[in-house]
Amino acid sequence: MSEAALPVVLRAPRADRWGAIRYFLRRNPRMIIGGSLVVAWLLIAAFAPFVAPYDPVKVSITDSLIPPGANHLFGTDDLGRDVLSRVIWGSRISLSVGVISVSIGFIVGVSIGLAAGYLGGRFDLFIMRGIDALLAFPALVLAFAITAALGPQIQNAMIAIGIVAIPAYARLTRGQTLAIRAREYVLAARTIGCTPLHIVLRHIFPNITNALIVQATLSTAFAILAEAALSFLGLGPQPPTPSWGQDVSYSTRYLANLKWWMSVGPGLAIFSAVFAFNFLGDALRDALDPRLRRSG
Amino acid sequence: MIRYILRRLVLMAPVAFLVTVGVFILVRLSPADPALVFLGEERDPAAIEQTRIQMGLDKPLPVQYVVWLSHVVQGDLGRSFETHQRVLEAIWERLPATVELGLAAIFFSVSVALVVGILSAVKRNSIVDLLSTSITLAGVSFPSFFLGIVLILLFAYVIPGKIFPPGGYVPLAQDAGDNLRRLVLPAITLATASLAINLRQVRSSLLDVFGLEYMRTARAKGLHERTVITRHALKNALIPVITLIGIQVGAIIEGAFITETIFFWPGIGRLAVQAIPTGDYPVVQGVVLISAFSYMFSTLLVDVLYAWLDPRISYETITA
Repeated sequence: MSEAALPVVLRAPRADRWGAIRYFLRRNPRMIIGGSLVVAWLLIAAFAPFVAPYDPVKVSITDSLIPPGANHLFGTDDLGRDVLSRVIWGSRISLSVGVISVSIGFIVGVSIGLAAGYLGGRFDLFIMRGIDALLAFPALVLAFAITAALGPQIQNAMIAIGIVAIPAYARLTRGQTLAIRAREYVLAARTIGCTPLHIVLRHIFPNITNALIVQATLSTAFAILAEAALSFLGLGPQPPTPSWGQDVSYSTRYLANLKWWMSVGPGLAIFSAVFAFNFLGDALRDALDPRLRRSG
Repeated sequence: MIRYILRRLVLMAPVAFLVTVGVFILVRLSPADPALVFLGEERDPAAIEQTRIQMGLDKPLPVQYVVWLSHVVQGDLGRSFETHQRVLEAIWERLPATVELGLAAIFFSVSVALVVGILSAVKRNSIVDLLSTSITLAGVSFPSFFLGIVLILLFAYVIPGKIFPPGGYVPLAQDAGDNLRRLVLPAITLATASLAINLRQVRSSLLDVFGLEYMRTARAKGLHERTVITRHALKNALIPVITLIGIQVGAIIEGAFITETIFFWPGIGRLAVQAIPTGDYPVVQGVVLISAFSYMFSTLLVDVLYAWLDPRISYETITA
C-alpha cells in the first residue's frame, strides 16, 4: 500500500494561548496602559505596609508642613504625617470600596435583570419600575442620601454606592437577556426540559458576560470617584483613617497658606485610579463588545 | 403631542410614587431618634414622648407615610430640626444661587463643547482634535472637588492679581460685577465633567453625520463647505446633544453638593451637606426629594423637546 493512500488526519494547530494574548494586546495598546495602571494600584493597595515609607497616622509635629523633597516625596501635612504614605494606604479604602460596591451592584443588578428579562410579565413590569425609581435620583445624590441616613461609615458608603450601581446592571442584563431568550438554543434547552434556573445560568448568563465585564470596569471607576466625593463631604471613613477624598477635604484649610502638596497627592491619586479604570473599561468595550463601540 | 406628554406623565406616576416612598424610608433608616434630635439638649422623657406624638412617630409606618405625603403635596416639607425654619422656605431661599450656578455651568459646558467639538470634528487629527480628546479623557476622571481646589490655588492665590476670589457669594441684584467674578470658578468646576461628555457627543455625532450620503450630495451640488457643515451637518448632529442636557441637570444637581461646599456657595447642595453632621434629616430629605423631581421633570422635558425637534422620531416609538 502506497503512502498516499493512508488516511490523512487533519489536526488543528495547537492553540498558542500566550501568542493570542500577545497579539490581542498589541492590537489594543490602550488596554496595556489602563491594565498596567489598574494592576499597579492593586499591587500598591495589597502591599501598602511594605510600600509606604512611613506610618500614615503617626503624628510628628516637628515634621509638619514640609514641602515635597527627598525625605517626603509628596511632603507632609500639618500634623507631620507623610502624604505619600497616606496616599498609599488610602488606596486600600478606595479600591476596596470600588470592588465591594461594584460586587453589590453586580450581584443584585444582574440577578434582577436576568429574572426580569427571562420571566417577563408582571414581575418584569414591577421590578423595572423600582429600577426606574432608583434612576430618578441623580446617582451621587442618592449615594449621599443613603450614607447620610445610615451614618458616615465606610461600610455604609459601600452599600450606598452599591445600590446606586444596581440600575445600570439590571437594565443592561435585562436588555441582553431579552435578546438571547429568543434564540433557538434557548428554545432547544427549554424543549429538552431544562429548568428556568439552568437556562438562565448555563445558557443566558455566559453569553452576556462580555458586556458585564465592561460595565463592571467602568462602574469601578465611578465607585472610586463616588467614594472620594462622599469622603470629601465627610461621609466616608472618619479621621485619622487615610482616605483620598477626606485628605483632599482636610487640605482645603491650608490652601490660603499655599500648602498645595497636601491636596495634590491624594487628588492625583484619585484621578489616576479613576482614569485607569475608565481607560481600561473603554478599551475592553472596544475589544469585547464592538456593538457598543462609540466613535470618538 | 399633548397625548404623548400626558402618556409620559401617567407613566411617570408610579415612579414618582416609588421615589417618595424611597425618600421617606431613607430617613426612617437612620438610627437616630428624630424626636431626640429635634429636642437637642432636652432629655425629659415626658417631653420626648410628647414630641414623638406631635411628630406622629407613635403611629404605624404606612400611616406616617400617608401623613407625610399629604403634607408634601401641599408644599409642607416639615421644619428643620436645627433652625426650626420651614424646609421649603430654606430651599426656596437658596434656590436662586443653585440655579444661577447650574445655568452658568450648562452654558459654559455647552458653548465650549460646541466650539471645540465642531472644530475637532472638522479638523480631525489636528491639535484642536488632540486637545478635545484629552479633555474628554481627563474630564470624566478628574474629581470635581480637586479641580475646584486647583482653580482656587491658581486663580485666587498663585497667579498675581488674585483674578478670582476663592469663594463666597454676592446676590446678582446687589453687585452684578462681583457676583459674576465669584461665579466663574465654581461654574467651570461644575461644568467640567459634563463638558467632557458633551464634547465627545458633539464630535462623534458630527463624525457620524459626515459619513452620510446626503452630505456627499450637498458637497456634490457645489455648496460651500461652511454651508454644508452649518446647514446640513450641525442641524442633525446636534439633536442627540439635547438629550445630554437632560442628563446634565442630574450631574449639575449632584455636582452642586460638592462645588457649593468648596466655594462656600449658599445653594441647596450646601444646605444639605451642612445638615448632615447635626442629623437635620427633614432638610436632607427635602433637598433629595426636590433634586429627584427636578431631575425627573428635566428628563421628561428633554424627551418632549427631542421628539419635537426631530420629526423622524414618532412618539409611539419613544414610549415603546
